[in-house]
Amino acid sequence: MTTFRGSQKNATQILERIREGLDRLNEKMDVVIEIQRHGQRDNESIPDVLDVMTLLSLPDHLRKTAVTLCKLNQATADEVAGQTKRARAVESGYLNQLVLMGYVKKERRGRKAYFFVEKEE
Amino acid sequence: MGSIIAFHSYKGGTGKTLLSVNLASTYARKGRNICLFDLDFRAPSLHAAFKAEGNGYWLNDYLNGTCDIKKVLVELNTFHTGSGRLFVGLANPATEAIREMSAKDRKWEMRALGRLLSLKTALFNDMHLDHIIFDTSPGLQYSSINAIVSADMAIVVSSLDASDIKGTQRMTRELYDLFEKKTGIILNKIPAGHLATPDKKEKLLKELKAIHNLPIIDVIPCFCKVLEAGGTYIFAVERPEHPFTAILNEVATTIEEGRAYIEAGFQYVCDIQGAQLFKKRK
Repeated sequence: MTTFRGSQKNATQILERIREGLDRLNEKMDVVIEIQRHGQRDNESIPDVLDVMTLLSLPDHLRKTAVTLCKLNQATADEVAGQTKRARAVESGYLNQLVLMGYVKKERRGRKAYFFVEKEE
Repeated sequence: MGSIIAFHSYKGGTGKTLLSVNLASTYARKGRNICLFDLDFRAPSLHAAFKAEGNGYWLNDYLNGTCDIKKVLVELNTFHTGSGRLFVGLANPATEAIREMSAKDRKWEMRALGRLLSLKTALFNDMHLDHIIFDTSPGLQYSSINAIVSADMAIVVSSLDASDIKGTQRMTRELYDLFEKKTGIILNKIPAGHLATPDKKEKLLKELKAIHNLPIIDVIPCFCKVLEAGGTYIFAVERPEHPFTAILNEVATTIEEGRAYIEAGFQYVCDIQGAQLFKKRK
């Protein structure tokens, strides 16, 4: 019985690690897709300041994510999803799009990826 | 937690400052703790409205990141406030400061937005405030859009001027809706002829509701006495018997009731025979 419970716990941990791995893979794939999509664009011409005029020019789905990130100052995709009530994977995709557009920065700390507009001094 | 209410308008001179100053005083006299911010950096006016001296720190300094927000706040005496507390955050009226604020770049405006957004945590948690009121600059300027994005609710003050109505419609579509802002309209300075009979008032309201598709918080006639006062004193404080003060009391109640409905998960649908209809949000 004890052995069964122990192996069940191990299996849960392995599944959890696989899920985290898949999440990270998913984020990287989003980045690759976005790089391909924006490959032809002249990056020099893209403004990298996330001010209100930029927010107004963003498509609705990205604006919601960007405004939420501005409110939170810095956040993980999970924290943004908690505010927007959208799925974590969706927010992760949108945040990575904003990173590619140059409006948001991303920093990995341990297993978590943090997104921010500007680092606190 | 309390709410941030931004007074905004398409055109200047619609009465944003008059209404925000008098509403802040009305709330304070009802026992609420209020903080009123002058976010019109190109034409600061709260220092004159309250005859308040700056304390050496201005909202400009807070947005520049050179001081804490609490250093900026000036608490007004009980004459203005009754049982509540009323703080004001003044914009620097010096010409040099106005010129400096007009020349800020986009990066500064982005940081200013961040600082306005962080006001909520900084003030509501520590100071037990009920409302923060932003008096903004008219139109689509950085300072006013920053204020709208940071606020929980936008109150648009509009007159019956045709360009004001068109501009308000456009701002609803292109600003408040895009930021999913709860918005209400106060119609101000309405000529007495439009409100002479209940039928005329009803007709006017029906027309404007059809145009704006937003809740109309109240309709304020053009009062000669208010214009005569010329902002030299706080009308709602010194003339409690005047109909203007009675309307502001109604406005104060309507805003709090509307907010209570929204917090309970309802959203405004339309007006039916003078009553606002809300539906449960999905």
